[in-house]
Amino acid sequence: MRRHLAFFIWITTILIIGMGLLAVYSASYHNPRVSDTVFTSQLVFAIVGLVFIQLLSQIDYRKFFDLSYFFYGGCVFLLLLVMVVGRHALGAQRWINLGPLSFQPSELAKLGLIFALGRYFSENISKISFSFLTLTQRLWRDLFFPLLITLLPMLLIFKQPDLGTAILMFGIFLIMLFVSGLHYRHYLFFLGVCLCLVPFAWHILKSYQRDRLLVFLNPNIDPLGAGYTIIQSKIAIGSGLLFGKGWLAGTQNQLNFLPERHTDFIFSVIGEEWGLMGTIFLLACYAMLITCGFIIAEQVKDKFGTQVTIGIVGILTLQVAINIGMVLGLCPVVGITLPLVSYGRTSFLIFVLMIGFLLNLSKRRTIF
Amino acid sequence: MRIKIVRVIALFLLISIALDLFYVQVIRGAYFHNLSANNHIRVVPLEAQRGVIRDRNGDTLVDNRLSYDVAVVPQDIRESEELFAFLAETLNEKKRDLLQRFFQRKVAAFAPVVIVYDVDKKVAMLLEENRFRFPGLYIQESFRRFYPFEQAGAHVLGYVGKIDNSKVDQLKEYGYNPESLVGYDGVEAYYDRYLQGQAGGQQIEVNNHGQQVRLLGVRESQKGEDLELTIDGDIQRIAAKILGEQRGSIIVMDLDTGDILGLVNSPSYNPNVFSDQKLRSQAPGILTDSSAPMLDRAVKGQYPPGSVFKAVMAMAGLDSGTISSQTTTQCPGYYLLGEQKFLCAHVHGVENLVQAIAHSCNVYFYTLGRKLDADIINKYARLFGFGERTKIDLPFEAAGLVPSKALRQSKNQGGWYTGDTLNFSIGQGDLLVTPIQLLRMMATIARSGEVVQPHLIKKIGQQEVVRLSSIKSIRIDKKYFDLVHSGLRSVVQDPEGTAGILNMDGFEVFGKTGTAQSNSQRKHHAWFVGYDLSGKQKIAFCVFLEYGGSSYHAAMLSRYLLQEMRKEEII
Repeated sequence: MRRHLAFFIWITTILIIGMGLLAVYSASYHNPRVSDTVFTSQLVFAIVGLVFIQLLSQIDYRKFFDLSYFFYGGCVFLLLLVMVVGRHALGAQRWINLGPLSFQPSELAKLGLIFALGRYFSENISKISFSFLTLTQRLWRDLFFPLLITLLPMLLIFKQPDLGTAILMFGIFLIMLFVSGLHYRHYLFFLGVCLCLVPFAWHILKSYQRDRLLVFLNPNIDPLGAGYTIIQSKIAIGSGLLFGKGWLAGTQNQLNFLPERHTDFIFSVIGEEWGLMGTIFLLACYAMLITCGFIIAEQVKDKFGTQVTIGIVGILTLQVAINIGMVLGLCPVVGITLPLVSYGRTSFLIFVLMIGFLLNLSKRRTIF
Repeated sequence: MRIKIVRVIALFLLISIALDLFYVQVIRGAYFHNLSANNHIRVVPLEAQRGVIRDRNGDTLVDNRLSYDVAVVPQDIRESEELFAFLAETLNEKKRDLLQRFFQRKVAAFAPVVIVYDVDKKVAMLLEENRFRFPGLYIQESFRRFYPFEQAGAHVLGYVGKIDNSKVDQLKEYGYNPESLVGYDGVEAYYDRYLQGQAGGQQIEVNNHGQQVRLLGVRESQKGEDLELTIDGDIQRIAAKILGEQRGSIIVMDLDTGDILGLVNSPSYNPNVFSDQKLRSQAPGILTDSSAPMLDRAVKGQYPPGSVFKAVMAMAGLDSGTISSQTTTQCPGYYLLGEQKFLCAHVHGVENLVQAIAHSCNVYFYTLGRKLDADIINKYARLFGFGERTKIDLPFEAAGLVPSKALRQSKNQGGWYTGDTLNFSIGQGDLLVTPIQLLRMMATIARSGEVVQPHLIKKIGQQEVVRLSSIKSIRIDKKYFDLVHSGLRSVVQDPEGTAGILNMDGFEVFGKTGTAQSNSQRKHHAWFVGYDLSGKQKIAFCVFLEYGGSSYHAAMLSRYLLQEMRKEEII
């Protein structure tokens, strides 16, 4: 079984990356608006990535544990650096404040958060609660402190502004908190408080972010901007029908109707050219990968391993769901990539790291 | 147990997505397939208004003027014969011409075709009143750029035009379309992406004849950001008036902040020519004029600085320890190099540094230049910013040229001779500078080594632009600067100074004259570059006259400039 799990992870990963490469190639094929180098760059990254996965799966697993907080701190530092550098070094017009700059350390921070929370939860929560801790002390230890760990990078990312990734980080926290074994009553209460804060959060959003959320409710508010993308990507996916229009033959894609089609909206290219067969196949691959992750999480005897695996599987699921949901008009356009498929180096690299970690655990989980 | 719950939720999410995929791709698939096959969606763009540009006092430098365009929507026309007959009559044009234009410009049944741009308001009203008789006829309102300063603002502000075909492709992603107006030159070009605004549009569904079936949505266009410049409109007018027909440039800069208060060149052009249909016929004349009215001489023109460069030489001599305030030279009216005589303007006799600057004695600086050698002069010229762009916020700035032995060799132009060093020492020979570089150099000396960044932008929208008034400073002992300051002051105050004309009550002018030989047989270039410390606002200024003869003329215009500015209570 151990062998099988690793094997499945390898196969599905390669299939997903392969489909992604085909789609990226198609998106940049004879296309003045997407550079040709996009495909070659993605290809090189895929090959390097696979080698990386193999290397990562060999590393001593305890190293991850030891480096967790260090890694997390590095991510926070990079996020801060982006804020500072993003203001000043602006090439020719360095004395003009161009406003915030969206930058990639946010991708790295996802993984940093997973490791930090994983280590924290594995060290600080015991199922048996002794009476000498008051409720406040216990809540502080089990809920508020990990919440702080999450909020620090999350707010920095929100400031960039990158709403999608910020929400994603909170999602990871909710999942890992749940698995950490916090009392159901407390967990539900916390969820309730979060819900109450939603109207408040609405006011913090920038006006264009609000627009995007509103457009999601009714794409026709803004059919040329955000709404346009949703309408066009739905047309692309829908017109693929059962078997698709064939590789490189998608008219929506090839005729430049789809913006951002090699990054966030890559799924619509797959939907148009490979039809329902293609989309369900890709979805099945993800489902397989995710299932493998859950099996590992259940079998691992060590808390850190369980937590991190759940974090990884959680983010994988969330990103797949949000990205495809976004392309289908089921959720707002928030700029989340499709794991291992979208063009984007940092994002790609992060998922490669995550797969490497899963493989590592799949081989060693019985040791602990 | 909890992991199981998460697992169930995750799978549930994926399954619900799979179901939705089935719904979109199979159940509603035919509908979407149809939409994509015929591509029933079209976008009709709505132009955005460009931002307005104002000066530091809030006076408008560039405005948008409402214009009325006569347009026809092909799909709505009933009686095309009658419509075009009526248009020909009202617009006083040939019906055949109108029809020809209509067919040339027509792109789609639903898209309005503009037949005549920018008609009179009266004509527009007349047409509007008759619209009910001719379905398909529309009067579109659009905005045109209007430049109230005309020639006086041209080089700072630039002008706008339809986007270049070659640029459309690369700019498409930033929301430009082939009908977009973009800035060419000046602030209009440099800050184009702020001024541009966001085009809106109507998204419509069309049938297979290309006719509009229904409106899917409208997005209003968004006006671009307004800009506020450091320019003072009054100074701009004064400078333009003083320069008149004389070829050259005048730049006025706030000495403390680097704010460009005025920047004028002559000859100039009227930017309205490129946005006003009625003036359109003048455009080819401007573009082909041999006196190059489109050239922003102040930042793109490269000229020898002549004696103004002696200020840098003095700093080089002092800082390198080659000379001191006591060092004197005997000027017999020429400098002998072998058999060759290098001339001075007068027989100056024995002069120290301050006197040599005041009288602009060539022999003193030939002597100094020979001691320093070309490489050291090159080093100091670069230190004071020559040979590199000042990074003022105007497009296509020139960098000038600082000669050196190595450069001469690499270009295979023969060897470097002592004669070249002598020419270099008095700002002649291969050395080329832009007026803005020379002005910045003078400001740097005035501020004892603190470099200011010349710039035009003050505010973008409501946001004050962050600027670093002093980016870097040149580390030279302050006492050397003080010595050069007294030299620059003597230029004006000394009875024999070359710019005695600027010795006026109520002013405290420092500066340096320059008369630079031009390569051709034409007259010399005339310079005066200086600063005035008397006013509430300390200013640095540069007056440059291309082929203007003696530097006396430049000093004369500087005098008028300062007097006029004082009269209008600006300084």
